[in-house]
Amino acid sequence: MSIDWITVAAQIANFLALVWLLKRFLYRPILDGIDAREVEIKDRMQEAVHAKAEAQAVAQSYQDELQALNVAQAEMTETIRKAAEEQRDVLLAEAQTRVEREHGAWRAHLDDEARKYTAKLHRVGAEALLTLLRKALDDLADQELEAQMTHHLVGKMKPMLPELRRAAGQISEAVITSRDPLSESAEDELLAEIQAVFPQVSLRFVTDEAQAPGVVLRMGGAQLEWTVASYIEGLSELIEEQLAAVGNVEARPHG
Amino acid sequence: MTLSPDQTLMFEIWGISVNATIFYTWVVMALLTVCAILITRNLRPDVPPNRWRTMLEVIVQGIESQIEDVAGRRERHLLYYAGTLFLFVAMSNLLLVIPGFEPPTASLSTTTALALSVLIAVPLFGISSRGLGGYLRTYIEPSFIMLPFNIISEFSRGISLAIRLYGNIMSGAVIAAILLSVAPFFFPVVMDVLGLLTGLIQAYIFAILATVYISGATSQPSPKQKENP
Repeated sequence: MSIDWITVAAQIANFLALVWLLKRFLYRPILDGIDAREVEIKDRMQEAVHAKAEAQAVAQSYQDELQALNVAQAEMTETIRKAAEEQRDVLLAEAQTRVEREHGAWRAHLDDEARKYTAKLHRVGAEALLTLLRKALDDLADQELEAQMTHHLVGKMKPMLPELRRAAGQISEAVITSRDPLSESAEDELLAEIQAVFPQVSLRFVTDEAQAPGVVLRMGGAQLEWTVASYIEGLSELIEEQLAAVGNVEARPHG
Repeated sequence: MTLSPDQTLMFEIWGISVNATIFYTWVVMALLTVCAILITRNLRPDVPPNRWRTMLEVIVQGIESQIEDVAGRRERHLLYYAGTLFLFVAMSNLLLVIPGFEPPTASLSTTTALALSVLIAVPLFGISSRGLGGYLRTYIEPSFIMLPFNIISEFSRGISLAIRLYGNIMSGAVIAAILLSVAPFFFPVVMDVLGLLTGLIQAYIFAILATVYISGATSQPSPKQKENP
């Protein structure tokens, strides 16, 4: 075991050379690479931090915008709801007015129809009554209806002569109105009876289709008549009472 | 049987004899340098690291981490020096398994040279770190009486480093040679495996001790020590 000092010096030189070589070809490249990678990682982390901050800012902005949109949506919804309610009220009012108007029109139409129906009922009833009366008189008493009407009118005239004289005054004409032309015998009877009481008064016979079947005497301001109108009215009242009774019976189960 | 490769002459260059210690040292140097060049030649930041580069990075960062643990700070110059010590000793000892290879660390000249380099490096690192006055002041700390003891301590460090490395590597080589002659089929293999382990451990111990010595010389005194030396 000995030390060769020349070898020692050579080994020191070799070692120093190895230090330089490894520093040049090993440590520097490796450490520089590591440092570069660390710097790159640091930069990327910084970028990631910035990106995260930007993302958070964008997310916050998005949240703010979303909140603003929600508020705007709520306000818009409230506005639309109020407008819809107002429009609904207007439409309801219009509909109510229209319904009332239509109801009024319907009611007027109904009244008109009722009037027409009543008039028709009166007319038909009068016709029927007149026909029945005529047939009954013919069958039972062998009498004409017009003759009986004339008798009846003459009969009503006698108790009322004082009133007729006052009403007639100085008139010279009396008017007999009927819906259908009277028979000649009836006209003669009426003429005879009236001229017997009022010799100065002439008599004129007039037909009026709008008048109820019967005979009407107009003398000045006085008027005597016999028509089937009063009978028809009585018949109408009777029918209405019967219908009302039927309606009450039908409406009762429904409460 | 030659105990030292210094006595084995390999060849002559311009009249200068090159013994086995120097020759195998060049082999180790060439191997380390060529490997480093091959691995780091395409080292660019835009190229992802391959497994060899990763292996080198692990080795270098492991050495740097050990130095940081011992010295308490990262110091690149200390990494170059102690890392080279470790790689050289470790590679020399690992190549022991190659038949015919004589590890340079089995030569007392090599271990002496490494110990001397540590002895020289300690004051150089200390002076570069603390300045000449600051470094020389460490020899009279904690008092002037300690000057001879500190000087003896410095030299004994180098001697112990040299003898420790030489003794371990040389003894392993010698024991392997003896066992090879006695029982050539079994014990040499076991001894070679054991030699690999002890070689790595010795490389680690040698580099760590060098790092401890150098970092002890370069460590800055704390403010309390400055006020009360």
